[in-house]
Amino acid sequence: MFLTRSEYDRGVNTFSPEGRLFQVEYAMEAIKLGSTTVGIRTPNGVVLAVEKRVHSPLLESSSIEKIMEIDSHLGCAMSGLTADARTMIDHARVTAQNHSFTYDEKIKVESVAQAVCDLALRFGESVHDEEAMMSRPFGVALLIAGIDELGPQLYHTDPSGTNIRYDAKAIGSGSEAAQSELQDKWHKQMTLEEAQILTLRVLKQVMEEKLDQHNVQVAQVTAEKGFEILDETSLKNVIELM
Amino acid sequence: MASVFSAPGFDFSNQLRNNFIAEKGLPLPKATSTGTTIVGCLFEDGIVLGADTRATEGPIVADKNCEKIHYITESIRCCGAGTAADTEFTTALISSNMELHGLTSGRKPRVVTAMTMLKQMLFRYQGQIGAALVLGGVDATGPHLFTIHPHGSTDKLPYVTMGSGSLAAMAVFESGWQANMTRDAALQLVKDAIAAGIFNDLGSGSNIDACIITASHTEMLRNVEMPNVRVQKERQYGFRRGTTAWKSEDVRNLIVSEEITLLAGGDEMDTT
Amino acid sequence: MQHAFAPSASHPQPQQRQFNPYSENGGTILAIAGANFSVIAGDTRQSEGYSIQTRYAPKVFRLTDKAVLATNGFAADGNMFVKKVRQRLEWYRHAHAKDMSLRAIARLIQTMLYARRFFPYYVYNILGGIEEDGSGAVYSFDPVGSYEREACRAAGAAQSLVQPFLDNQIYFKNQTPAPGTSHPAHLPLNHVLSLVIDSFTSATERHIEVGDGLEMYVVLAKGTPLQGLDAIQGITEMTATDDGERMFIIRRNLKRD
Repeated sequence: MFLTRSEYDRGVNTFSPEGRLFQVEYAMEAIKLGSTTVGIRTPNGVVLAVEKRVHSPLLESSSIEKIMEIDSHLGCAMSGLTADARTMIDHARVTAQNHSFTYDEKIKVESVAQAVCDLALRFGESVHDEEAMMSRPFGVALLIAGIDELGPQLYHTDPSGTNIRYDAKAIGSGSEAAQSELQDKWHKQMTLEEAQILTLRVLKQVMEEKLDQHNVQVAQVTAEKGFEILDETSLKNVIELM
Repeated sequence: MASVFSAPGFDFSNQLRNNFIAEKGLPLPKATSTGTTIVGCLFEDGIVLGADTRATEGPIVADKNCEKIHYITESIRCCGAGTAADTEFTTALISSNMELHGLTSGRKPRVVTAMTMLKQMLFRYQGQIGAALVLGGVDATGPHLFTIHPHGSTDKLPYVTMGSGSLAAMAVFESGWQANMTRDAALQLVKDAIAAGIFNDLGSGSNIDACIITASHTEMLRNVEMPNVRVQKERQYGFRRGTTAWKSEDVRNLIVSEEITLLAGGDEMDTT
Repeated sequence: MQHAFAPSASHPQPQQRQFNPYSENGGTILAIAGANFSVIAGDTRQSEGYSIQTRYAPKVFRLTDKAVLATNGFAADGNMFVKKVRQRLEWYRHAHAKDMSLRAIARLIQTMLYARRFFPYYVYNILGGIEEDGSGAVYSFDPVGSYEREACRAAGAAQSLVQPFLDNQIYFKNQTPAPGTSHPAHLPLNHVLSLVIDSFTSATERHIEVGDGLEMYVVLAKGTPLQGLDAIQGITEMTATDDGERMFIIRRNLKRD
């Protein structure tokens, strides 16, 4: 695929003659190595589900954190270089807090997604003779779920700084298969329970290991309870229902 | 034993005391100030004096229709600006002394006499009496118009203004005054000058008072113009009987009733 | 007696010079919230000391179709502050693709004022308008950002004259209701407008810094009937969007002395 690789893949500030930014494209490739992450929007809320790859029996699976809270009405799931996501989520959290501090209202989902993308593009910012703030693009993609006055929403952000709203979206290593499955199964009037089951079914299809409550994590954002990560018992219940 | 020696000159020891007390947080009570427009001008037959009618306490209007043209004698009047009590008391005192002076001398007292008495009094008090005056009148020597400042200095001019609206009023005089004006022209000029103060100086307001003094006659024109009548309020603010809450009710009988029993062989009136 | 450390030409004493960047420009503002409307008013005189700088300097400003800001104190700061608030409103519209709610504007004003905690805008602000739930609202601020939602508030030169009147007529302070009745929580629009006009004509009579002109903004919530508003002489509609809220301005003359 990378037969055109040349000296143009060094700097993040240089387009190749074909009009490509190689470092950004490589960052997108890093996401494809990540674990599969799925998000589904329903009229009652948004569901996020991730695969937790337990590559060693000595690994404490509960310590893998791939879904995080941004604000009480906002959650986020990631795939790719998850360490990079910490910086982005920190930024999102600060942006959300700043907004409620300044305006006494919850920030819109789109605004948070936009703020994250603004940060993702900072890799290009360096003034001559000055130390750049970022050395490379982030190697992670996020699914941002939330509820605001426009209802439940799901946003996808990637290293190129693009953010797009989806009804259902899969990212990570199994994303291609997962996305076509979502396209097949998603419908407008899906209930939250149906969405929970669908996320797990999709994950199950692309996972190598057998899916159980230890190697997946599910979270949802609803109008009533805001963002919540499903605890082990509720997760077990969903798994039993699938 | 305390010394009975008293140094010559003014004694300012109370000034020091007052400053000390003010520093301790007890300033002297604030007096009502007539942040004012007062004017006077000469015309062919005599003097026209004018004044607005607003009295203020800081930014608050204390009196919407006060009188600032004070009586000195029948043919001498004095407009006062500054501390209301000072202008009222000073002019009343000088008015008394002028009356006595007239009685003693058997002549009609002159405007210069009033002016001298006023300036000597104000100078004695070193500006502590906050009276800025426009003195005008007609006497045996003709019409005279003076301004007297709180420290006791005086000016004799054909047209004068004083008070916080003095600049607004003087602008009108400077553009409109001419020597030997007619009575009507002079009155109109004075009214215009006071109106300039009323509308352009926040310390002045409400109505125009004027006074025309000639050799034979003095005419006091109280509220000669009323350009600032109170507008009709949108609502009536009467309160229903019983609006004010009370804690207890106590009705007392204030009529003292006595019962008198007449004893036999009393002091009945002799009706024979 | 010569003091040992008396200042001399060879040893000059330190001297303090001061520049005062503030001044006080008089005038009064006032706002009253109804059940589904809000009235925000201010006189138009701008003064310094005993001089009138202008007889027409607006102190009440339309921010959006549902928010009006009245400023009082140092006019230069007030005008600059309104300018900055409007700029923030515009930025917010671009960033979040919606108009700021009244509640959000109120909080924004707090953060903007507090940002200048140690070099404040010398301004008392009153924000009036319609809340997201359609109720009339008034927010009042101190110069460094303390704020509160209230039913009515007067500020400025004649605050001490007008606020007690409003307390009595709006909150019915010191008024016992007739037996078996209670005071209304909200007054109708025509009643509120009368109280506003009377507040200003009275303040004009007794305060030297109040007068010349009166500007009253009326904001109506979505679907609120005009209640005879259209019959008022000198009323102008200022509604800019079709969101449903309507805004009007009523101008009156006040005494000019």
